[in-house]
Amino acid sequence: MKNLGIKYDRLVKIGLLKHFKIITNTIEGIVFGTAEVTRGAPHFVDHIEIKRFMSAAIVALVPSAAAAIYYFGLRAVEMILVSYIAGGIVEVLFALVRKKEIEEGFLVTGLIFPLVLPPSIPLWVVAVGVMFGTIFGKEIFGGTGRNIFNPALVGRLFITIGFPEIMTTAWRVPLTDAITTATPLVVYKSSQTIPDYLSLLIGTTAGSMGETFRIGIILGGLFLMFTRVSNWRIPISYLLSVLLFSWIGSSFLPAKIAPPLFQLLSGGLLFGAMFMATDPVTSPYTKPGKFIFGIMAGFFTVLIRAFSGFTEGVMFSIVLMNGFTPLIDHIVISIKYRPEKYER
Amino acid sequence: MIVKGKRSVGGYRFKNFEGEFGRGITEIPHPDEVIIPLMQGYGNEVPPLVKRDEHVSAGQIIGRDDDTVSTPVHSSINGKVTGFKKIRYTDNDINAVVIKSDGTSDKTAAHKESDWTTLSNEEIEKRLYTSGVTALGRSGIPTRYRSSVIETSDVEHIIIHGIDDGVYRTSTSMLLEDGSMKKLIEGIKILNRIMPKAGIHVTVDKSIMNVATQMDAALQDASWFNLYPMEARYPQGLDEVIIPILLKREYPYGYIPAHIGISTLNVRDIQFIYEAVVQNKPLIECLIALCGPGFENNQWVRVRVGTSLQVIEESVKANKSVRLITGTLLTGVPLTDMSLPVERSWGSIAAIPEETGSGFFSFAAPGFKKDSYTRTFASSFLNFKKTVDTNLHGEERSCIFCGYCEDVCPVGIIPHLIYRNVERGKIEDFLVSYKIFNCIGCNLCTYVCPSKIRVSSYISEGKRKLKDIGFDESTVILPNFKLKGLAAIEVTDKGASK
Repeated sequence: MKNLGIKYDRLVKIGLLKHFKIITNTIEGIVFGTAEVTRGAPHFVDHIEIKRFMSAAIVALVPSAAAAIYYFGLRAVEMILVSYIAGGIVEVLFALVRKKEIEEGFLVTGLIFPLVLPPSIPLWVVAVGVMFGTIFGKEIFGGTGRNIFNPALVGRLFITIGFPEIMTTAWRVPLTDAITTATPLVVYKSSQTIPDYLSLLIGTTAGSMGETFRIGIILGGLFLMFTRVSNWRIPISYLLSVLLFSWIGSSFLPAKIAPPLFQLLSGGLLFGAMFMATDPVTSPYTKPGKFIFGIMAGFFTVLIRAFSGFTEGVMFSIVLMNGFTPLIDHIVISIKYRPEKYER
Repeated sequence: MIVKGKRSVGGYRFKNFEGEFGRGITEIPHPDEVIIPLMQGYGNEVPPLVKRDEHVSAGQIIGRDDDTVSTPVHSSINGKVTGFKKIRYTDNDINAVVIKSDGTSDKTAAHKESDWTTLSNEEIEKRLYTSGVTALGRSGIPTRYRSSVIETSDVEHIIIHGIDDGVYRTSTSMLLEDGSMKKLIEGIKILNRIMPKAGIHVTVDKSIMNVATQMDAALQDASWFNLYPMEARYPQGLDEVIIPILLKREYPYGYIPAHIGISTLNVRDIQFIYEAVVQNKPLIECLIALCGPGFENNQWVRVRVGTSLQVIEESVKANKSVRLITGTLLTGVPLTDMSLPVERSWGSIAAIPEETGSGFFSFAAPGFKKDSYTRTFASSFLNFKKTVDTNLHGEERSCIFCGYCEDVCPVGIIPHLIYRNVERGKIEDFLVSYKIFNCIGCNLCTYVCPSKIRVSSYISEGKRKLKDIGFDESTVILPNFKLKGLAAIEVTDKGASK
């Protein structure tokens, strides 16, 4: 293993590779890990690193991705690959220009993005969406850790508004090639009929690629919460808030607002709550802030689903709450740490 | 009386690491030469009482000053003073006396046990002071000889740390040594004699309940005695964390516990109190736990004060590049100069491998032996001995607001919030409102950070820079407390050498 390292070192020092130090550094980091040691106390540190952190999120997405491939075939694989390649190019270019390390956060964005798209969408739209999301959702803010909006959602928002006809007609019935325009939420809006809950759970209804196999989403979400990669406060308060507001709403306006359990098991709610609202960078870092974020996101989800022209409210409500995040944190911090007067 | 100890906020439980030590105490033979620092443990540096070429014997006081807060220091061998030198452990130079052995042994003068209950308080305090024991503990043991900043009558509580909450459990192992229980109980009674008004509070690891019940049975008549079986959870061993839990009192962060009338010691210190009072034995041999995978054998060693670290280094495994650390792995001081001497307040030395490689695709490995606050490694579910090394285990990245540092912080700070402001150069008074001065430097935030940011270093940098614009402990913390013994505060607090 040492020999391999030395050979690799030689390869880096000579030839073309030396111009791409950032890329070679990243590869080295992935393959060999770090050679750095702690400077002073603490002399011994945790084994968690961002690569592992993001890998855990990818592991949690495996059931959803696998279900997408099972239900929609090779198409799903193509979309995931296009998303990774197109977004990866943007990420690497920005790293090269900025002369900064390539951040691992993209590994999650690149997988989440295709999973929230309709299965029959043209591949070039996938590429445009992921590139737009990475550039305008993340890189222009200064990269991972500084972005305000979830990059995957920014990309999806862009193509939802930019290509509305594609986004509303590209749905497919799982395991068939039949094109449909009717996801369960659309059906409910027009005729107030609810499919059986089992088909919603195992994913045989129409929907975005990764959002239909809801058992897998729940398992992945629980895995993330258990491993502490995601914080339980946001998904739990988000889901409970949707249940509460839709219960209140559907008892007063049953024609407009769908009943709680159907709301929970339809559309992108579970996927959004488990994997997108929990993005630590774009959600509040304060604990009370997390609850506020979840509750408000739940409220907006019910509201948008019922009263707007769009059938799906999760994407909008999370992006909206992403925008509120700095304000929520600011208010919580100013209450928690009330400024005191100190004599100098 | 056994009292249920509550858990602190935050904190992290270190469990099952390699290099945990076994039983037994090994004597390290007398060295040919010792270097005796004139400041060891708590207190000011004392002036030397000996001259060059003077003959000294083991246990003889060679430095003493009754006018400042200090404790005498002793020669640890029979021999001749060959000179004086300056040594440096961390920041400050300390004067030291170099003594060359004459080869004679002092073992003939065996220390007889006597009945201490017949001694007067004055005699007990004298023995504690002249034996050097009063320099132990975070703020020394108060006696009538100005060994601490406060008087014996000022002491309201004595806390004895019986739990080591760090990676290695030295105190717990000390409690399990033969005969140590008797010494501990007698030592506690001695403390009660000289400080009768003080309540004595002992923490003990829940996992050794039999020891706890035994200790409680021996002291069941004492109304001043409380025993707290607790989980070993870092950093509950720090005074700043344990005092609010046990005594429900606010801690004046940045000051030593003596200022609020609390004396803190650990179980090893009590052994020395017993030896000083009952056996009338000066503290010239220290008891050091060698922990960490870098040592051949993980055990206690009895070594003369002033022995150079080279002797300790000899027990390091061959062909292994290690880092020697005194104190805990999270807060301790690295020892780089092997000519430095061992001093009496040290309780443990850890040797951990300087690991510059982390293995093929280490981020994707199952991690049976990797410790982590997250539960992303197999070690969270399986009970293998976990590895300890100095590797960073990952590259430095930007903060992703995971919130782990806030979750583990024992004093209610949001470390990443302070880090971000200090990193951007925003040193303003809002940092004080964010309770930056509550930071006790436990370094747990840096430990758990997945982005490998040295969060705690940024916090201390922020504290340092705040001083320039007029904020420090004396303007922020001090006005909220009535502190005792501040007049005698010419003593520098060496918080690290707990």
